[in-house]
Amino acid sequence: MKVTVCIGSSCHLKGSRQVVERLQALIAENNLKDKVELSGKFCMGNCQHGVSVTVNDELFSVSPETVDDFFKTQILSKI
Amino acid sequence: MNNLCTDIAYQSVNKFGEQLCGDRVEVIDQGEENHVIVLADGLGSGVKANILSTLTSKIISTMMANGMSLENCVETIAATLPICEVRKVAYSTFTIVRTIDNREAEIIQYDNPMLIILRDGKNFDYPKNAMEIGGKMIYKTKIELHENDFLVFTSDGAIWAGVGTTMNFGWQREQIVEFLEKMVHPEFTAKTVSALLLDECCKLYGGKPGDDTTVCTVKIRQRKSVNLMLGPPRDPKDVNKMMSLFFAKEGKHIVCGGTTSTLAGEFLGKPVTTLLDYVDPEIPPIAKIEGVDLVTEGVITLSRVLEQAKSYQQEDDIYADWNVKEDGASLISRMLFEEATDINFFVGRAINPAHQNPDLPITFNIKMHLVEELSELLRQMGKRVKVSYF
Repeated sequence: MKVTVCIGSSCHLKGSRQVVERLQALIAENNLKDKVELSGKFCMGNCQHGVSVTVNDELFSVSPETVDDFFKTQILSKI
Repeated sequence: MNNLCTDIAYQSVNKFGEQLCGDRVEVIDQGEENHVIVLADGLGSGVKANILSTLTSKIISTMMANGMSLENCVETIAATLPICEVRKVAYSTFTIVRTIDNREAEIIQYDNPMLIILRDGKNFDYPKNAMEIGGKMIYKTKIELHENDFLVFTSDGAIWAGVGTTMNFGWQREQIVEFLEKMVHPEFTAKTVSALLLDECCKLYGGKPGDDTTVCTVKIRQRKSVNLMLGPPRDPKDVNKMMSLFFAKEGKHIVCGGTTSTLAGEFLGKPVTTLLDYVDPEIPPIAKIEGVDLVTEGVITLSRVLEQAKSYQQEDDIYADWNVKEDGASLISRMLFEEATDINFFVGRAINPAHQNPDLPITFNIKMHLVEELSELLRQMGKRVKVSYF
């Protein structure tokens, strides 16, 4: 599974770093390092609704507050 | 014409407790390739020394700038400088360095510590012709310069450093030479070398300099271009034109901005790989595109570069953050402040609608302002800066 977090200017200001760090922690906690490939991307053209995250090319809007839920519903459940 | 340029930097500290410096450095540019640098040290300290060294350096540099011969200037200054009634000596000593075409130097020395030339990292002993002008013993040298030559000259405060505190007789010229041979790397800038030596003098003085101390460094180096692109062009039809012009430029290439780096990747036919290392929590991670030397986010990163440029101008902290850190902003700062002599900005004026939000500190106006302010600071550092808008 490929998870990509936008780290462009707009998303950065909306909390990309917190989202990335939380996802890295959650992936490690659940021993998913082999199954989930986490990467970054500069600007996905969805700046108004940042932080933009794609899971296998499907686009989601995540915030530092919703990242735990997002991980459960979109990543953990689909593995 | 050659591809060399002259990097000049100087720095002073005042005698402990004094508010004015008795040393003075004047730099006059005669065109881009010729420079006259005068370091004058007024005897004594405080107001009197300050006025006299200012007078000396101004007279010499002004006369030189108006095309008078070196001998003429020295004669005038030697005849004009008053001999102190009490001390029976001239008021101000001086060192003049005149570089011609970045290839040749004339050095005139009167009573300052003898200038040091570092060539290939080693002390280079150069011939000196002694001559008496107006009763003053003056040493004159004319030599050819090589790439990466460092000419380091100081006021006598440098050789008195440590007298009676950390050392009995201060450190002598030989020890300064030894220090420079050990510390200086060919890629150091003139500013770094001046700061290094002055810092060491201050340490020897125990933080309380016993005399005004000034270090001036002149370095001969290759010109080097760095090109920086920020933002897509206003008219999407111009993307190819902007990219072709940018990548046709000689030198290093920095691409800033999310959309911009995507476009650069498409133009080069290479993927943009974004790293997820937050070296600095406030600065977005950098990315990699084959064929581009550095890829970073745009406005947030460049705002930090601007801050660093401002502190570079004001403080002389050789251990400043940007000098050692690996975040995008510090990497750009090192390339622009240290490596580059010529900087070309390629600025796209497309407006990102998502950024035009009063809550975000990254609006279009801020971006344009950033480039203007940064260019101005870089010019003050002595860089040739060109800004092209698309």
